[in-house]
Amino acid sequence: MFETLKEILVSKLKVTPEQVTPEATREDVELDSLAVVELSLLLEKELGMNISDDELLELDTIGEMAELMEQRSTKV
Amino acid sequence: MARAEIAVSGLGLVTPGGVGVGQSWEAALAGRPAAALDPALKGGIVRLSCRVPEFDAEELLGARRALRLDPFVQFALVAAREAVADAGLDPATWDGARVGVVLGCADGGPGTVETQHRVLLHEGPTRVSPLVLPMQLPNMLAGQAAIEFGATGPNLVVATACASGATAIGTARDLLLLDRCDIVLAGGSEAMITPLVMAGFARMGALSRREDDPATASRPFDADRDGFVAGEGAGVVVLERAADARARGARVRALIAGYGSAADAHHMTSPHPGGRGVEAAIRTAIEDAGAHPRDVQHVNAHGTSTPLNDLAEAQTLRRVLPGTPLVSSTKGVTGHLLGAAGAVEAAFGVLSIENGVVPPTAGLRTLDPRLEIEVPTTVTSARIDLVLSNSFGFGGQNAVLAIARP
Repeated sequence: MFETLKEILVSKLKVTPEQVTPEATREDVELDSLAVVELSLLLEKELGMNISDDELLELDTIGEMAELMEQRSTKV
Repeated sequence: MARAEIAVSGLGLVTPGGVGVGQSWEAALAGRPAAALDPALKGGIVRLSCRVPEFDAEELLGARRALRLDPFVQFALVAAREAVADAGLDPATWDGARVGVVLGCADGGPGTVETQHRVLLHEGPTRVSPLVLPMQLPNMLAGQAAIEFGATGPNLVVATACASGATAIGTARDLLLLDRCDIVLAGGSEAMITPLVMAGFARMGALSRREDDPATASRPFDADRDGFVAGEGAGVVVLERAADARARGARVRALIAGYGSAADAHHMTSPHPGGRGVEAAIRTAIEDAGAHPRDVQHVNAHGTSTPLNDLAEAQTLRRVLPGTPLVSSTKGVTGHLLGAAGAVEAAFGVLSIENGVVPPTAGLRTLDPRLEIEVPTTVTSARIDLVLSNSFGFGGQNAVLAIARP
């Protein structure tokens, strides 16, 4: 799921690929609150995954975001 | 105490002539019209436009930054960077609190609005981008420049339609005269060649319909002119008090010696037939410069190529300026850059003084016999000490800059 998230961050939000690591924080990849809303929208649009921007904002790292995505996709 | 002289110490341009002052000025002097059939306007009433060629926003601004900026902001930032570098200024070391930004645009980011409106209609409100407002709001022009350059002084965007770029430079000059700051990035930017905007202009009857011959569609002052061709781009100048510029060893390229602003108070789109507001703005700018109307040697006209504007403007110039100045409309090359036009044309005015040349009016074949003004159709050499740059907006808002040799 990390690779899926990375693909979205890189291709859709134009984050530099080298910056996207599991340990990277939102600040490291320059995801401000607006970009997190965009990411939430992209997860829904591209993957049919409902994760709100508020939920994403509670997480510290890209790796944790990928984990939440994993949980959501296995629940379905 | 004498009033301070206000210097232009840097120029930056992004125009349909090219990215950068060099390419833009070269296109203007060559009289090379930029108008072409625009694939993005397929299905529109009028499909002619003047686009900025080879503008790679990702390359110039970085992919992440470009993604979050409407083109009207992208153009301005690229032009402003050029102007700042040209002025020999380094934003890393300047006192940002003394650096202001005054930019103008007619419409903000209508392309972003139209795209997101389609999303709203077809996918619903939860799919609308959170960036729709921060990307399209007109004030972001100056806000983003503040971020880019660490300019934390006075920061505003002015809107006087197609006079916005000139109004911004005049307003920036006022800020410097009032000592509100020491440096101002001033100018205008526009990116409103969108299906809705172009439909609106076409429905007003403002656009040239000469799709069969794009190169002569924009033909200011021609007897057969039939409207303007919409352009896009940005012009930014660095202004500072001339004494400050000289003290830091910078080049004073020209002076913004006078500024006139006046309203027609007549009609929402048609110019006052007697040129009331235009005349008042011209006279005010000349007086503000401490000059006499006969001193004006060159006018970079508003000259949109619409039947009404060019007639009213030329008749006013004829009446007010007895010195028979050389009149050019560079819109024959660039098309009408709307809220950016005044700034781009002020930059051309500076270049005319520096280079001792007046650009041709491209597209002009036969001067409208009612217009008793002198309009060169080839590059003309002349010593120019005082230029007027005219800009008039829908709503009857007129802004005139008097640009002088330092």
